[in-house]
Amino acid sequence: MSEGLSACAGYKPGMSANSTLSRRRKLVGAGPRQWVGLLYVAPAVALVIVFFIVPLGMTVWMSLHNWPLMGAHSFIGLDNYWAILRDNRFWNALRFTGFYTVVVTIAIFAVAFPLALFIERPRPLTGFYRTFFFMPVVVGFASASLLWSWLLNVDSGLFSPAAFALGLTEKKVNLLATFQPAFWSIIAMVVWKVAGFTMIILMTGLQSIPPELQEAATIDGAGPLARFRAITLPLMRRTIALALILSVAGSVLAFDQFYIILRGGPRNQTLTAVYWIFNQSFVSFKLGYGAALSMVLLVILLVLSLIQLRLLRKPEGLD
Amino acid sequence: MAQARKHSSRIGLRIAEHSTGMIVSALFLAPIVWTVLSTFKPAQEARQPPLPPWPTTGFSVENYATLNTFGDGLWLPAQNSMYVALMTMLLSVVVSVLAGYGFSRFRFPLKNLLFVIILSTIMIPFQSILTPIFLVLTKIGLHNTLTGLVCVYVTLQLPFSIFMMRNAFDAVPREIEEAARMDGANNITMLVRVMLPLVWPGIVTIALFAFLGAWNEFLAALVLMTDQSKFTLPIMMTALQSGRFGAIDWGAVQAGVTVMMVPCLVLFLLLQRFYIRGLMAGAVK
Amino acid sequence: MRTFIAGLAFAASIVSAALPAGAAETANIWVRADGSNFMPRIVDAFNKGHENQIKLDIIPNAEIIPKYGAAAAGGTAPDALSLDLIYTPAFSAAGQLEDITDWAKSLPYFESLSPAHVKTGSYKGRIYGLPFSADSSVLIWNKKLFKQAGLDPEKGPTNWAEIEAAAEKVNALGGDIKGFYFSGNCGGCNIFTFTPLIWASGGDILTEDGSKATLDSPQLRGAIDLYRSMIKKDLVPQGAQTDTGSNFFAAFATGNIGITPSGAFAIGALNTQYPDIDYGVTFLPGKDGGWSSFAGGDNFIVTKGTTKIAVVKEFLDFAYSLEGQTILAKYGSLPVRGDIAKEALKDLDPRYQIAAEAMAKGRTPYTVVFNDLINSANGPWTQMVNEVFFGDDVDGSIANAQETMQSIIDSAQQ
Repeated sequence: MSEGLSACAGYKPGMSANSTLSRRRKLVGAGPRQWVGLLYVAPAVALVIVFFIVPLGMTVWMSLHNWPLMGAHSFIGLDNYWAILRDNRFWNALRFTGFYTVVVTIAIFAVAFPLALFIERPRPLTGFYRTFFFMPVVVGFASASLLWSWLLNVDSGLFSPAAFALGLTEKKVNLLATFQPAFWSIIAMVVWKVAGFTMIILMTGLQSIPPELQEAATIDGAGPLARFRAITLPLMRRTIALALILSVAGSVLAFDQFYIILRGGPRNQTLTAVYWIFNQSFVSFKLGYGAALSMVLLVILLVLSLIQLRLLRKPEGLD
Repeated sequence: MAQARKHSSRIGLRIAEHSTGMIVSALFLAPIVWTVLSTFKPAQEARQPPLPPWPTTGFSVENYATLNTFGDGLWLPAQNSMYVALMTMLLSVVVSVLAGYGFSRFRFPLKNLLFVIILSTIMIPFQSILTPIFLVLTKIGLHNTLTGLVCVYVTLQLPFSIFMMRNAFDAVPREIEEAARMDGANNITMLVRVMLPLVWPGIVTIALFAFLGAWNEFLAALVLMTDQSKFTLPIMMTALQSGRFGAIDWGAVQAGVTVMMVPCLVLFLLLQRFYIRGLMAGAVK
Repeated sequence: MRTFIAGLAFAASIVSAALPAGAAETANIWVRADGSNFMPRIVDAFNKGHENQIKLDIIPNAEIIPKYGAAAAGGTAPDALSLDLIYTPAFSAAGQLEDITDWAKSLPYFESLSPAHVKTGSYKGRIYGLPFSADSSVLIWNKKLFKQAGLDPEKGPTNWAEIEAAAEKVNALGGDIKGFYFSGNCGGCNIFTFTPLIWASGGDILTEDGSKATLDSPQLRGAIDLYRSMIKKDLVPQGAQTDTGSNFFAAFATGNIGITPSGAFAIGALNTQYPDIDYGVTFLPGKDGGWSSFAGGDNFIVTKGTTKIAVVKEFLDFAYSLEGQTILAKYGSLPVRGDIAKEALKDLDPRYQIAAEAMAKGRTPYTVVFNDLINSANGPWTQMVNEVFFGDDVDGSIANAQETMQSIIDSAQQ
């Protein structure tokens, strides 16, 4: 075993992992080994088929029906989907969701990336910082929403009375009463909750970059920014893809925070797509229509994810 | 001279770094600290804005006492939650390590398609497939069982975990594999003795998030379990928090959040050491 | 001796074999979390004294509907459940519930069961739900603040002008003290507490059978003006505008609010959790006097096709007995049987009597789309309430709401 590991000593600085890979690939190549791969992914695929694909199929089936929460259902073909085209409130909700996704994803990455870089290097107190940044992740999303709903309360919360007591505002400002402060409060809450999560993902990506590369580049005279652009970012493509896809998917499907803290307010301006689906399914009891809306969201997300995967793939292919 | 200047600018940098670290930490911690401190306030004080955050009219644990008065108390749901979370963690790790290895190191037909299908698990609002999942579980006899819940949770973790493990395996240079193969290692040995130590941070990450996800999940646990005796902690917490007409018992919310946080933090602290780069570099060398 | 005992045993076995379904059965009942105080106790009392048993599950309020839907689809629905009465028309219309008309009418005390519950529990002339727990809306005021403000602490407001005047006086005390509180972003809270003001003044927001929305009325406008006036005079805390109901009770419980419309549940909650608050209870008044109340609470409904209907009926019988009603009253609900209500409440806080009286004359709007119209946080009622109290275009909001509500009602008539 030690011989194998010492082979790494032959790893020459400047040699990028990519070129080595492509050389080796011709030797490794396809062959009888490939079917074994299927065995390795089999358990995962089995779980996904039973607990996702099959239910998904049933959801598709439901979307072709007029399916009330209780009682009899009737087949109506694509009528639900035609109704979606006419459903203005859904498209408004989708528009808002898109806006929210863009803003929050940028915000999360803007915070998480520097944090990841900050804690990645071992230094005194890093362990503490890492723990503190990560703590909000540990609280469940619904619980966090409730907490912030309390903190944001104008009369018995924290922010408004504090700002008033410190003299920053003339009277206690109700942050949830108008769109801008409400929206940005939610952004703050989500960034607070999710940044630590994204930070950890990015950090594991950073850690897998061989330090020899960075050292070699420094010796060659590259400054931190140049190193970041030429070495860190490209080698972190896959990690960034993971973090990005998760963040985008999570944001497009955002619901808890808007339901618990704002109830889609003020005045229905923060209704998200999933909130609308929830309303249709469990308030209006129209499960079939809700299923159809979900399928639309699924398709949108799949397309977005494929785009992201494509943009962030390694140069030699989707592998 | 140059040495001294470098030294002092080094110190200046350190101070700047640590101040930033402290301030950002404070921002992240503040809501939590406020919450935890508020749980110790007696009822009267708890209803006022939490300024100052610490109890001023006396220390009280009545909020925690409230938590235990509901239904059959906290102990049973806590056990259920612990079981579900730990099993999800173990199963997720096993399945994801295997699958991540498979996606990373082998080429087989439908590879990309299968990967995208697995990824798409998180791309649908969970409430939409909840009823169908319930029906599936009923068909295979796993409804109202904690095991069934574990299966669902593991499936939900797979996109993240497999993607993560695939990335982790990808990052291992092929030379190591080649060298080990030349030494005569077969597939299993390769995986367990060569690759695993090198992807340990990845494994730790997915274990941690699998635990967190299962521990905090609420909706599936509620809908898929019929017996109150199988309910998990989040369900108890939710039932406690809402009173009549949606009136919220803030003390119970804060106490509940605090209680649920503790095992997760403990786990994180235990698993932290695997994130230290030194460990990684040593293994590689 | 031996033969005698053997003979007895033999006789007993014959008798028990002859009894229909003699073996003890267990029925499964769900209750929403609101009932977590009294339900376990009633179930325990029943289980102790009966062979047949009840297994109870407590479900968080907001999730009981999705959970029931999934269970019904999967064939694991409970035998019966205690659910917010406003859902009964929708459930009945969906064909989900067992028709219990004949059994209900056979009960000797049927006439004294809460009329509002029974009406809501009926659909097309048949009865599908019977009252189980009750909560009526009332007006509560803080006696200590009244006294400090120079008002008679024992007399609550009896019409709208008095509400506003009293609120103003209390508000003048200053500091964190405010005269009036209500949840401004909550449809359910306002149908519970705001609509009775309209009813007491002779108006209504829906026709009796729920087929038409009758929002635009002088009574509605009058009531809106009352609230608007109080808001303009800064008698209401800021948080009211965005309160989705989470502070519906907590605000008054801080001891800083003079008057607030609330429910009978507040009596129990204040007595047990906030004993330091001295409060009075009165009816929600109309413009010039008179009063009304929203009859809320749970209806007991039976899943269609359940095999345990006998057990369920036995349980309901017990719940309606004096013992059952006393337990109910003691632990957070009002009695639902008018004829023994006073009896059941006799050992409790006398303020409950007022709530019980309010309950007897309480009303519940009847519609199969109650959720869509009223409860939904994004529905027309909630939106209108928030807009007309805190916005500028009262006419537009009312017209908008009327149109939306009518179209929801119309599209449900199938």
